[in-house]
Amino acid sequence: MREFSALVRRHCSVFFKDKSVFFPSLITPLILLFLFIAFLGNVYRDSIRSVAAGFEISDGLVESIAGGWLVSSLVAVCAVTVAFTANTVMVQDKVSGARNDFLVSPVSGRLLALSYFVSTYLVTAFMCFVALGAGFIYLGIAGWHLSAADVFLTVLDLLLMILFGTAFSFAVCSFLHSQGGIAAVQATVSSAYGFLCGAYMPLSNLAEWLKNLLMFLPGTYGTGLTHLHLMGGAMEAMRGEGIPAEVVQGMREGFDCTLTFFGSAVPVWVCYTVLAAAGAALLALCVLLYLRPLRKSLDKIDPIMYDRGRRNR
Amino acid sequence: MNVIETSHLKKYYGEVKAVDDISFSVGEGEFFAFLGVNGAGKSTTISVLCGREPKTAGYITIGGREIDAETKRSLGVVFQESVLDRSLTVKKNLACRAALYGIYGKAFAERLKELSAQFSLDEILSRPVGKLSGGQRRRVDIARAVLHSPRILILDEPTTGLDPQTRRDVWDAVHSLRKETGTTVFLTTHYMEEAADADHVVIIDGGKIKADDSPLALKDRYAFDVITLYHVREAELENRSIPFERAGTGLRIPIRNSMAATEMICAFPELFKDYEVTKGGMDDVFLAVTGKRGEV
Repeated sequence: MREFSALVRRHCSVFFKDKSVFFPSLITPLILLFLFIAFLGNVYRDSIRSVAAGFEISDGLVESIAGGWLVSSLVAVCAVTVAFTANTVMVQDKVSGARNDFLVSPVSGRLLALSYFVSTYLVTAFMCFVALGAGFIYLGIAGWHLSAADVFLTVLDLLLMILFGTAFSFAVCSFLHSQGGIAAVQATVSSAYGFLCGAYMPLSNLAEWLKNLLMFLPGTYGTGLTHLHLMGGAMEAMRGEGIPAEVVQGMREGFDCTLTFFGSAVPVWVCYTVLAAAGAALLALCVLLYLRPLRKSLDKIDPIMYDRGRRNR
Repeated sequence: MNVIETSHLKKYYGEVKAVDDISFSVGEGEFFAFLGVNGAGKSTTISVLCGREPKTAGYITIGGREIDAETKRSLGVVFQESVLDRSLTVKKNLACRAALYGIYGKAFAERLKELSAQFSLDEILSRPVGKLSGGQRRRVDIARAVLHSPRILILDEPTTGLDPQTRRDVWDAVHSLRKETGTTVFLTTHYMEEAADADHVVIIDGGKIKADDSPLALKDRYAFDVITLYHVREAELENRSIPFERAGTGLRIPIRNSMAATEMICAFPELFKDYEVTKGGMDDVFLAVTGKRGEV
């Protein structure tokens, strides 16, 4: 156990000490939050007013709903993109040879793999909760309509999404052996994931076939949960301002608080089940990756060395 | 007593025979050199020895045991490149690695004190590894490798790319360690001069062992001594049918060994007014055994 905790501490320390990785990872969610507010805030405010056309919604409530959307989108994206950044340590260790140093010690390859997994989870959780904290401050300023249950469930959503993000990134990064490889994957994930999980644009705005296609991706359910728990309170408050229930329901569907799949509403428990099952399946995949002959899959032969060897022969 | 035994060891990657049926043994306390050019199979053998790569066939034992987690405790490895975390301090690096061998708390503090004294680490313990000079970093690498007092210290091309002073520092640290603890040293290198200091040399080429003996025996078997004569005309050697080659201002005569040199001096004393006798080196052995020129 001491060996394991020493490895986890080491991986986390290496991540946090590498300022070229840590600071951008920390600042990016905050910059993203600022950009969301600065550039997309008005788009969502107008969108909220248009859904409730003909009814008067207070500015505070509009701010609160728009803020809930922005913050929930932000943390949903961060749970996966930050996990890919946190996995940089694992890939760097393959490149630098630090991994070989661990493998010549009595520590098993599986314990080493588990230590990378846990450290990635912890680092991602730290960054995501910093982002969520900043988001809560923003919501406090914009208009706080969250109950204690909403906060608790948001934290639960985030923990599950981080598990999903960690397992997803871990499975992908297990096959990467170069800095360029992880940089390319990080760039791809950062640019695409927000659209694929329904964070940058409500699924309800998409064509039906595309919406149904994206509903096959587990991350979408996690994003839906955060939308529900960070916007649900404000939407309930709309009723207090005399907005009819059907308009509120339209708003919930329009902003993905209620997901639909082939026309049927997806219950919250199904969202949790899909997210948890996806996390568990990816976790199982990671275990399988490490159950097969470890060195063969992860310590690739240096092709230059063997080409040289062949030439010499 | 042999601390490492390998028998008909093979490691293939598909059609590439990285290590092809090699057998050798390393005695307890011995300074063993595994000599070969890049790609000869040295690092692959080390990987199998350390349990990082499964063997294709053959036997390999350390201290009489097949490779397992326990035999890993007998090994300390200094890699070709420093593998410590550059952003962490020397102390944090050593603390993390020590914990992998179950050394922590008071035991680690005591061991750190010993290593600091042995490798002069006191002044650099709180400095990040990335800020150390090449020689300091190598000393820390060696300290990391012997944290758990292994029976065998494996040095995988430890001086490649280092400047002469740093190379000397590395060897001073290794020799002082051997002197104090009697640790077996397993060196892989492509530098001939480093192999010349070993007790036992194995030359590997193309995954196969080409020679296996002490440096002296190998030189006797494969290398020629050379007499260099000065102030002698070429015709004087030609008249006596002595084969030679020009070497700068002198004439070089290859001879079998020192005894042959003595016989030649006695036979032709008039030629030996100004001369030197040079023993054959490991580079001659390497060239004779592999047909390749090694690095000095």
